[in-house]
Amino acid sequence: MYAYTPFDRQFVHSRAAQFRNQLERNLAGTLSDDEFRPLRLQNGWYVQRHAPMLRVAVPYGELASRQLRQLARIAREHDRGFGHFTTRQNLQFNWIPLVDSADVMDLLAAVDMHGIQTSGNCIRNITSDALAGIAPDEVVDPRPYAEILRQWSTLHPEFAFLPRKFKIAITGAREDRAAIAWHDIGLQLVKDEAGAVGFRVLVGGGMGRTPVIAQEINAFVPWQQILVYIEAIVRVYNQYGRRDNMYKARIKILVKAEGQQFFDAVNTEFGRILTLDEGGREHIIPEAELARVAAHFVLPQGLVSEPARDVFADATPGYRRWLERNVHAHRLSGYRAVTLSLKRSGIAPGDATHAEMDAAADLADRFSHGELRVSHDQNLVLPWVREAELPALFEAAKANGFATPNIGLLTDMIACPGGDFCALANARSIPVAQAITERFDDLDTLWDIGDIDLHISGCINSCGHHHSGHIGILGVDKDGAEWYQVTLGGADGSTLSGAAQPGRVIGPSFAADEVPDVIEAVIQTYRSERQSGERFIDTVRRIGVEPFKGPANAQRTLTSDKQGSPA
Amino acid sequence: MKFVHTSLNGDEALSFEQWQAARDHATGQVALQIANDFDVEQLAGDLSRFSRIELVFPKWVDGRAYSQARLLRARLRFGGELRAVGEVLVDMLPLLARTGFSAVQLRAGESEAAARQALDFFPGHYQGDTGEHRPWFARAAA
Repeated sequence: MYAYTPFDRQFVHSRAAQFRNQLERNLAGTLSDDEFRPLRLQNGWYVQRHAPMLRVAVPYGELASRQLRQLARIAREHDRGFGHFTTRQNLQFNWIPLVDSADVMDLLAAVDMHGIQTSGNCIRNITSDALAGIAPDEVVDPRPYAEILRQWSTLHPEFAFLPRKFKIAITGAREDRAAIAWHDIGLQLVKDEAGAVGFRVLVGGGMGRTPVIAQEINAFVPWQQILVYIEAIVRVYNQYGRRDNMYKARIKILVKAEGQQFFDAVNTEFGRILTLDEGGREHIIPEAELARVAAHFVLPQGLVSEPARDVFADATPGYRRWLERNVHAHRLSGYRAVTLSLKRSGIAPGDATHAEMDAAADLADRFSHGELRVSHDQNLVLPWVREAELPALFEAAKANGFATPNIGLLTDMIACPGGDFCALANARSIPVAQAITERFDDLDTLWDIGDIDLHISGCINSCGHHHSGHIGILGVDKDGAEWYQVTLGGADGSTLSGAAQPGRVIGPSFAADEVPDVIEAVIQTYRSERQSGERFIDTVRRIGVEPFKGPANAQRTLTSDKQGSPA
Repeated sequence: MKFVHTSLNGDEALSFEQWQAARDHATGQVALQIANDFDVEQLAGDLSRFSRIELVFPKWVDGRAYSQARLLRARLRFGGELRAVGEVLVDMLPLLARTGFSAVQLRAGESEAAARQALDFFPGHYQGDTGEHRPWFARAAA
């Protein structure tokens, strides 16, 4: 993984010092709360229901064991002992007092971490495929490009105050595990017929009130020019994106409104930067720079491929289930990637205690050359596990509660922290997630249901990606009470899910207590309607959402399915 | 970076409309103030006639003028003074300096000392800017 240079290290320490200065001015009363707010947001400090929330970036999901131990220490010494991994490969703390914030930034900087641009109307943490560099279906390793993009976007002076937040995701595999079409910019590394590497560039995706799928603006931008191309996109957005209404300020609205005119403006701007601007060609990436960064993303030292083995030989049923769900193919013979499930009964999806973080760091040291990944699905992944050590890892993961064999299944759901923590949320997510997890606690049932994406957001800001869930649950507020809208047929853009698209609503909102029954009715409908071997999403595609509506709405005990409900 | 406290009498900037009216008979250089949704490339033919261009921050979190400044410097090669006016706060200084502003008129009540200090936190930056065109990787390799 990437190792900070002295410059990188000095940079994050400088950022921490700058933040301390801003905090001190705020505490001294010379920087007002309103004016401090955008500054602290761009360092990840977001005032929430109970305390400031700190969002720490895990750039493109790569995490070292020493970094995870530091996060555990911060959880232990400054928070109430836990953190929450998010869909955008960040870690959030919920209980750190603002007066501690500068100290925490120093602790992060000490392990080459930061909260830079994890919130605010700027270019956010760049996300990528959790299996980058190890997936057998990879065309080009996206990590060197992601790191170059991270550096380019960090404290970009022109793009610090955009109309709205700006999210970039990058993948280099055939399978999209980064939901790129749901991002402001989605980047897919491809090779042309001559084998040259470039980017297929999508623009204008996003969730929120108006779910929009990104459109292709350019089928092939040579990799050398990608920083310039993104500069052109962001400059056009900075100048023409709406600022009169925050709900219409994302780039997706501009792209939708302007269509081809937007594409033309970007492509013209791109050409003008390269031909007219003083220094306009300086951000063309030289081979030497790609080589310098790519040199960090080689096999960990001492790791050599081994003859593949039949990992299922003599597997007991429990071990077999874990192998089937939590262990993934690897590009290197004799190796596997292993997901440590953070989806277990009684614990909020994506949450980890300080002890669990330490335990996961220990597992990474013992089995995975000290490296982990944070996945879009809010789990941890060990990327370099020898097949020979899978049985030992299974036992160790089980002992630490990480071995629930549910990856990709109903209980491996995505959920935001919801109204228990988030000041934006209309409704709580965690109790709904827990009620569903308890309802589907039987492994045989889960396995019979098979692959399915269940996504829960506590409000329309869509941090829990409800739009892209095969089943989506959205918390809504009506008259101060919590209600939940259920959608079916959403897709993140993976092979399993099909082309990215938002789900469709199956009826007026349900009461919290009705939700587990509704989900069960939806699942029962699938089980009775499915054809042999057909997965949930394929059944929904084949028969549409109509057949699900009757059974789902029949579960109402507290609400009415007439318009204008809740009753 | 020049710190300007108030516009001196007789030194007021013209609006674009005033400039258009005065354009054909004005002598010498003038100062111009443009709104932050103005397409600065329209000024390309007139730039030598401006001693100063003022770019406006109606709210400090509205970042459009950073792009205007960058285009005026890097694309149009404007060599006169670029002044930030409006809601200009201490913590904007690093961004202003790096996008081509050469003067600021801080909002009333802002500390000039704190603004100067805000310019000094970083050893350098990753991406090139209007002052240093080369990104860090190009400087490190040189």
